[in-house]
Amino acid sequence: MKHNDDDPHIYQLLALHVLSVLDNRPRCTETFNFDIRLIFENLSFHRLTVCARMERYTLIITEKPDAAMRIACALDLNGKAKKAEDNGVPYYLAVRDKPIVVVPAIGHLYTVAEDKIGRNYYPVFNFRWVPRYMAERNAKQTRVWLETISKLARGADTYIDACDYDIEGSIIGYCILKYACGGKENVAKRMKYSTLTKEELEKAYENLLPHLDFALIEAGRTRHEVDWLYGVNLTRALTLAAKDWSGKYATISTGRVQGPTLKFLVARERAIRSFVPTPYWEVKAKVEINGEIFEAEYEREVIESRREVEEILNSCKGGNGVVENVEVKRFRQLPPTPFDVGTLQSEAYSLFGYTPRRTLDIAQRLYLDALISYPRTSSQKLPPAINYVGILKSLSLVPEYRGLAAELLAKKELKPNEGKKEDPAHPAIYPTGNLPERILEEPEKRIWDLVVRRFMAVFGEPAIRQSVKVRINVNGHRFVLRGRQTLREGWLHFYEPYVRAEEVLLPQIVEGQKLRILQVFSEDKFTKPPPRYNPGSLLRKMEETGIGTKATRADIIQTLYDRKYVRDERMVATELGFEVLDLLEKYCPSIVSIELTRSLEERMDKIQSCMEKRENVLLDAIEILKPVIEELKSKEKVIGEQLSRAIKKARVEERIVGPCPKCGTGRLMILYSRKTRKRFIGCTNYFKKRCNTAFPLPQKGVVRPLGKNCRKCGWPTVQVRFRGRRPWNLCFNPECPSKGGG
Amino acid sequence: MKCVICSREAVKNGYCELHALAYRNIVKKYELWKKATGVSWKEYLSQIAKNPFTGEWAKEVAEHLAENGEEHIGT
Repeated sequence: MKHNDDDPHIYQLLALHVLSVLDNRPRCTETFNFDIRLIFENLSFHRLTVCARMERYTLIITEKPDAAMRIACALDLNGKAKKAEDNGVPYYLAVRDKPIVVVPAIGHLYTVAEDKIGRNYYPVFNFRWVPRYMAERNAKQTRVWLETISKLARGADTYIDACDYDIEGSIIGYCILKYACGGKENVAKRMKYSTLTKEELEKAYENLLPHLDFALIEAGRTRHEVDWLYGVNLTRALTLAAKDWSGKYATISTGRVQGPTLKFLVARERAIRSFVPTPYWEVKAKVEINGEIFEAEYEREVIESRREVEEILNSCKGGNGVVENVEVKRFRQLPPTPFDVGTLQSEAYSLFGYTPRRTLDIAQRLYLDALISYPRTSSQKLPPAINYVGILKSLSLVPEYRGLAAELLAKKELKPNEGKKEDPAHPAIYPTGNLPERILEEPEKRIWDLVVRRFMAVFGEPAIRQSVKVRINVNGHRFVLRGRQTLREGWLHFYEPYVRAEEVLLPQIVEGQKLRILQVFSEDKFTKPPPRYNPGSLLRKMEETGIGTKATRADIIQTLYDRKYVRDERMVATELGFEVLDLLEKYCPSIVSIELTRSLEERMDKIQSCMEKRENVLLDAIEILKPVIEELKSKEKVIGEQLSRAIKKARVEERIVGPCPKCGTGRLMILYSRKTRKRFIGCTNYFKKRCNTAFPLPQKGVVRPLGKNCRKCGWPTVQVRFRGRRPWNLCFNPECPSKGGG
Repeated sequence: MKCVICSREAVKNGYCELHALAYRNIVKKYELWKKATGVSWKEYLSQIAKNPFTGEWAKEVAEHLAENGEEHIGT
């Protein structure tokens, strides 16, 4: 037994909490292996002094405050952890086999920074890990956070890292234990869990891993350090070049993954903007079968010459059709695989239009509410240990899922249709079976429902579908009629309303049957440019090419928007995006090389499995960077000029609202009157004296083009933002029907 | 030398790298158009300039070629 007087306040709180637990559970005194003697000298709370002789407590560190609260409540014998605060930093007190203090971080509290102070120089190859408040202007609150953690660490004798079990979580916990707790990283234990449910947390606490996963930490540190080296050096080279040339500051960032990702977008944009369509034709026949009219397609889907189309139409004129053959195929459609983070993000984008970042944020909230398992997983496996039956039983308490869960529970065996992808740390995303304790917001409700239905669907039977292909001969020309039908719903039934299975039912048709052809006609078509990436498809592309990690991809896409390298939901690379990539390709092609990025990525993964050394990867990364930085430095003037022009253009582009609906050739733009300094929308053709279209704008708040047209009148729209208020989407057409007057 | 359409540096035929790419596509696709519709070079340029699927740079090059009455190489 040690007497501890490091922080009397925490002991007062702990002692009070221990007493309340003892009051409620008088018989469990024996379960405590500490001796508690409290002497209340004064009943006034503020002057309360408590002398507690007790064993030191266990300090548990979590990644987020919500997780701290859940862990403390799960571990507390009464299930009611006590919340305390120090300088606004919350922490939780629990009592189990001994007193426990659970303190949260707020994500990363430490970061990589250069040894020297200052931002206006490069190259930078010397770095160290520092508290975030020392390196980032907007991270002041991390200071008090670290002070509180350090204070709490002094009274602890056991340390547990309970941050998320992945690379980022491991680094967060490691840095806190090493720097804020005074070198406790080697004695700390690790709590590993995939859901924040009471059962799993209790189990994780009883089965602590004896030490931190140092290989994972090494891999994570290397990734942060390599990314920092690339990011800081390249961004400074570009930013300072532009600043020195124009005298104006604008952050022009790029990085190890950001550059190659921008390359995908610019390559697609080039293909779209230089695209020349070619004409082709489709020939179709309207066929009457049992009084119903169906459309059959010509056997060759694409006909490339108008003359040939005319020949087909002439030759089919007035002819009847004869069924040559009917081909029926039955096929099994296997259930979907469980969600890993990428497939959840893609599905949420295609169903609800949520960006990957938004989906991840929502999933994170659901995870912290213990409604779903850990979302940043690349696994498509659901091990039986998660207790399929228990989850389904809990879900059956929700009326919408009752019937579906009962169907699955009636099965002899529950076997998920697992995918190939694995994650050593976590299973695929699944509902924990816990039900919401608060009213979920609409997006949260949707994502939770999607996760629940997907979870049930993976246990469903394969669907049986049938495709029918009817070949019809019309004067020697063959047309094809296609049908599709679901014979047995299987898993589709569990995944409603998210199933996208098209049904085309055909009547009974037999070989040799004569059919009336009502019309044979052609449709003029043009080849289309490749589609623009959207955040979901770009994320998939990054996954396929193996660049970035499941935790960083969504943020990188967001950064491209923040830096104004892309705009709009259908991602359009801006002039600035083009220029930045152009410069990188011209002066440092290795930086945007997808192969190089992937190979670095693979080597960092190898550190995790102890097949590669952190030092080697770092040295090689620096070796690649050094000549690149030298090249950029030697061309600083040219780069500065090119970038400054692009920034200027981008600033003009930012003010373009859309095409002028009056003259049709000009573009509407946010302009400022020289006389009054008031802002308004005007046509660019005004300067050519061709169009004097102008519309007033609100003079307060921030106005930006919305990139979307008004649903009522089709005119371009703007968004007006006032601080502390919801943004207001404005159609400036005075005659728009939405204004009520028209 | 600047590109005849934008302010970028010209690399080939008076076009910058981006407009040169569009120009190459226009020349390449003409053969397909001719085979499909028997259209003349001039008519082809006018049609692609109006087509909603034609890319922005390709439109600009087509308009420039049409305005300057440039002949198709090989016609």
